[in-house]
Amino acid sequence: MDTKELRELIELISRSSFSTFELEREGFRLRLVKTDGPPHPAEAPRPADAAAVAPPLAIPPPPAEPETAATDGLVELRAPIVGTFYRSAGPDAPPFTEVGGRVRQGQVICIVEAMKVMNEIESEIEAEVVEIPVANGQPVEYGEVLFRLRPLV
Amino acid sequence: MFRKILIANRGEIALRIIWACRELGIKTVAVHSAADADSLHVKFADEEVCIGPAANRESYLNVSAVISAAEITDAEAIHPGYGYLAESAHFAEVCRECGLTFIGPPPEVIRRMGDKAEARRTMIAAGVPTVPGSDGIVPDVESAATIARELGYPLLIKAAAGGGGRGMRIAGAAEELERQFEAARAEAGAAFGSPEVYLERLLLEPRHVEIQVVGDSHGNLVHLAERECSIQRRHQKLLEECPSTALDAELRARMTQAALTAAGTVGYVNAGTVEFLLDARGEFFFIEMNTRIQVEHPVTEVVTGIDLIKEQVRIAAGEPLSFTQEEVSITGHAIECRINAEDAETFRPSPGKITTFHPPGGPGIRLDTACHAEAVVPPYYDSMIAKVIARGNTRGEAILRMRRALDSFVIEGIRTNIALQQRILSEEDFVRGRISTGFMERFLLPPARSTTG
Repeated sequence: MDTKELRELIELISRSSFSTFELEREGFRLRLVKTDGPPHPAEAPRPADAAAVAPPLAIPPPPAEPETAATDGLVELRAPIVGTFYRSAGPDAPPFTEVGGRVRQGQVICIVEAMKVMNEIESEIEAEVVEIPVANGQPVEYGEVLFRLRPLV
Repeated sequence: MFRKILIANRGEIALRIIWACRELGIKTVAVHSAADADSLHVKFADEEVCIGPAANRESYLNVSAVISAAEITDAEAIHPGYGYLAESAHFAEVCRECGLTFIGPPPEVIRRMGDKAEARRTMIAAGVPTVPGSDGIVPDVESAATIARELGYPLLIKAAAGGGGRGMRIAGAAEELERQFEAARAEAGAAFGSPEVYLERLLLEPRHVEIQVVGDSHGNLVHLAERECSIQRRHQKLLEECPSTALDAELRARMTQAALTAAGTVGYVNAGTVEFLLDARGEFFFIEMNTRIQVEHPVTEVVTGIDLIKEQVRIAAGEPLSFTQEEVSITGHAIECRINAEDAETFRPSPGKITTFHPPGGPGIRLDTACHAEAVVPPYYDSMIAKVIARGNTRGEAILRMRRALDSFVIEGIRTNIALQQRILSEEDFVRGRISTGFMERFLLPPARSTTG
């Protein structure tokens, strides 16, 4: 998605009655949350300024090469079973981790539910979470990439 | 009728089930191991889910993975094919508990017929002839010796939890009984989880003749005649045909009636096969019932014109049979040859990449396969890669058609048993219909050396 498309999308959502909007594509994730106050056309920040953008628009900087699969030292955590992927222990519980968060070795990082059994999936390494390519509640197959992690040692 | 069916199998049978579902307007879900990601059944299904790594135990035999895949795809029913979970009463029960329709008989029926000793008792009570033997499990060598004195030698020691020819030992004479009995118990325990065995008279030169039956949930139960399956190597069928050269109308009537009694007495629903051994004097004996669709079902389909897989799906959806017994007739003669990825002489498996694949065709030829050029035959699974079915107006024509079809079936990159099948089809005993379960053993013996000088 280029800057022009991004600006158009933000304007479209801002004018709509949606209060929250999430968009996920390979290598890119966008989340828009409206706060109270008069609607105004939002500015799309340049990628270099993404970190300095004030809330409510929180746009993570797009990765340098969104089309490349996890390489350059990133470790992929894949689903060990087929089932439904959950970011947290329950619908009201906070997610186990977020992008940018850190996980310890052995820490529960997500749940894959199969036949009503909530299987806790642990991270095998200490790492920073770089990317979560699957959405909460999404069906996942055996071997599907759930997290891309940067090992921390 | 179902909207979506998950196929808990792989290879040619998974594809076969997909074809039937397509014709019925039902969406399909293919589950596969990581090793089968590029398989044809995965490509032709509407949806696909990888359920585990290559090993059978962690993929195609993994009940929770299969059920989980059905849940995330909203499949309503599961067709188990043959092998794998097709005769797992436990799997059928789990399906039922999870609100999924298992396409096959109820778990109680699977369990009853799956225990070979229990099945025997059920048949005896129903008046279906069974091979003379122990009535139930033989717990120790002493009881075995007592029973053996009545049965006579040679006799067969069979695992109660076995089947398909596995878990059997022969005691040729009284001196061998103890050794073979203990060995059979040890093997049964290791292979099937239960060391329980029973004894049977060993018939000489019998034919393996099985009867296809199919029943719906409205009380209709019919037979679709026999299949002659005597050409077996180590109890693995190689070539099957319908009709059997040994059955005349009267014998067929008696055997099909016995099969219907056998199936009826357990309240059988869906497709199944009652297996008999037929001896040369026209006496037949029940050996087991397979509570699933069989590999060789196409033989019956091409002579009756009935699509058994579609019928299975309809029955599972609660519909009555689409035909009556009176409408079942055999027209012509069909032969099926199983094509295995193995060396035609050593029988060693030959997995690998198929570089050339030219399938047979022409009049009266049907091919069931999931193979193609560039396909990789993995080493983890059964070596059967294709079934060629030839139909003719007579047995002679079916044989001629099969020979010419196998001549034109080109598979390169892996070894196959096509050459072996061609030799069988040219063997005089086979052509004359002089076959029994001893056929392959004799056929594979090294030729007798002629004396010189």
